[in-house]
Amino acid sequence: MMDRYTLWQRIGIYAGIGVFLTFILLPFFEMFMTSLKPLNHIFRSPYQFWSDDFSFDAYTRMWERVPNLGRYIWNSIFIATSVTILAMIVIVPAAYAYARLDFPFKTQSLGLFLSVNMFAGAVLLIPLYKLMRQLGLLNTYWAMIIPGVAFLIPTGIWLLRGYFEKIPKEMEEAAYMDGASRLYTLRRVILPLAGPGLVVVATTVFITAYAQQYLFAVTFNSDGKLHPLPVGLLQFIGYQNVEWNMMMAAALTGITPVLLVFLFLQRYLVAGLTAGAVKE
Amino acid sequence: MATLELASITKDFGAHKVLSGIDLAIRDREFVVFVGPSGCGKSTLLRIIAGLEAATSGRILIDGQDVSDAAPVDRGISMVFQSYALYPHLSIFENIAFPLRVARLPEAEVKAKVARAADILQLTDKLALKPGQLSGGQRQRVAIGRSIVRNPKVFLFDEPLSNLDAALRGEMRVELSALQRDLDATMVYVTHDQIEAMTMAHRIVVLNKGRIEQFGSPMELYHHPATRFVATFIGQPNMNLIPATVAGTGAEGLTVDFHDGTRMTLPVDPAGAHPGDRVEVGVRPENLRLGQGLAMRLRVLERLGGTTIAYGMLADGLKLCAALPGDTTVHEGEDVGLTFTPADAHVFDAQGRVMRRRQAPALAA
Repeated sequence: MMDRYTLWQRIGIYAGIGVFLTFILLPFFEMFMTSLKPLNHIFRSPYQFWSDDFSFDAYTRMWERVPNLGRYIWNSIFIATSVTILAMIVIVPAAYAYARLDFPFKTQSLGLFLSVNMFAGAVLLIPLYKLMRQLGLLNTYWAMIIPGVAFLIPTGIWLLRGYFEKIPKEMEEAAYMDGASRLYTLRRVILPLAGPGLVVVATTVFITAYAQQYLFAVTFNSDGKLHPLPVGLLQFIGYQNVEWNMMMAAALTGITPVLLVFLFLQRYLVAGLTAGAVKE
Repeated sequence: MATLELASITKDFGAHKVLSGIDLAIRDREFVVFVGPSGCGKSTLLRIIAGLEAATSGRILIDGQDVSDAAPVDRGISMVFQSYALYPHLSIFENIAFPLRVARLPEAEVKAKVARAADILQLTDKLALKPGQLSGGQRQRVAIGRSIVRNPKVFLFDEPLSNLDAALRGEMRVELSALQRDLDATMVYVTHDQIEAMTMAHRIVVLNKGRIEQFGSPMELYHHPATRFVATFIGQPNMNLIPATVAGTGAEGLTVDFHDGTRMTLPVDPAGAHPGDRVEVGVRPENLRLGQGLAMRLRVLERLGGTTIAYGMLADGLKLCAALPGDTTVHEGEDVGLTFTPADAHVFDAQGRVMRRRQAPALAA
């Protein structure tokens, strides 16, 4: 493993990673810089990278400017968590069935599920709106949770099925020989072994649910108390001016709890993504 | 503890016939080995006995009871898998205890049974570890431990030693034979390795292309192979097959002409052979010795110490192998003569069927 690359190759690799990371992280950095600047400095021309009057002022004033901000952040996390839990309850047995059981139209039905992903949520907004109205779910948390779950199930099944398939079939056969039922085997053998896979899938579902809330929230919800953060951020847009610095401060504050959780889960993610790569 | 009977078992995968008409009666406390080349259907047959796969037709009887439709656990069968199939997240204790947990036995009983199994298999000090911390041989023993705690009537083994290195395999062969005696159990063991079959089995089932070629004790298979296939499959190095033509039949047996003109009369039942028929004369390498006879040019010598394996070619290009005494003073490239006692010869007709030997050694078992 050591010295697999020459010096120049290594420089090239790090340069590539550097460019890549810059593209990904620069917006976050700019968000942070913006949140520190007074509003009248943000559009200063020529662009000034460093400012002499940085302050964390926006981080305190944003709570006064949008009093419900805390509530919006909470709503975001609540909706994404609910989506994740509900989706996983459906994804786990479905993925197991697609990985191990034989039933008619197995490949066709999975293909059908996945084809749902080809439709952007926006295409289905109007039918979904009618559906929500008929079910009386408009302006409730459910209106934002249910479509989120529905759009994430196919990807989740697809991802988790791969992890289940990597678990040697003989382990299940051994359990079956010893009299264990499918559910017992799933609970005591498969799920513990698929642990990293479950974390990866749950993480993917959570991040996507966190990111896709905006569309469902603006369409299906007009109750101010139920809005998630992305909708709440709109309140920083006033009639005369946009409070960019406070908006950036609020956005950063909103993603911080999620970021911390994922920093903690990182080792599972790495283990999960490489699981099964090495034969034991 | 149990007899196992298979009655006209067949298995098709679509149009592909994997097993056809398998009939087999395994005695109580017998160690039977299924052996055959890959794709012969031996693993499928074992999985059908286990209940992991359904036979297309036929019945399975354990102790005279039809269990063809019973779940594995109700058949009283346990199985050790080729990959051991241990649960990596559970301790050795929980791995062995798994069948007992499934059966919801009380904790005290679980502890007692696991302790006894661990004692038999010398795993007592490993119970707290995880499978990943054990060596290959120890993992194998854990897999066996999991199969014995349930006191099954029949044990099935699916190539359990194929993942081990050669030295460990030899050790485990002895251990498995001893275990079979200690447990007084009926065991069915699948392998592609004829040495495992010869060393451990009471009786061997040789399978080829989904059919039983022969079922008999190791020495029976060695001295009286029923077919050309069994003859070449059993024995190491493989039996030599020398083409010959029938010159005549008589009271002493069958007289054949080899391609180099040598004529020999072999003491076998010539049943239905006519002069001019093409046959194959089978001679085991260990029955060949230096002397007047077939002229062979030595190509490669393998000196194993006790024996020297000589590989060479006859004038017509036929490859031969002879197991000579260890100190034989021959050299690669040399021309030597090889001879054998007519009573040691096996003769196979054009269909690969054997002609019964008249002077074969008495069977050891």
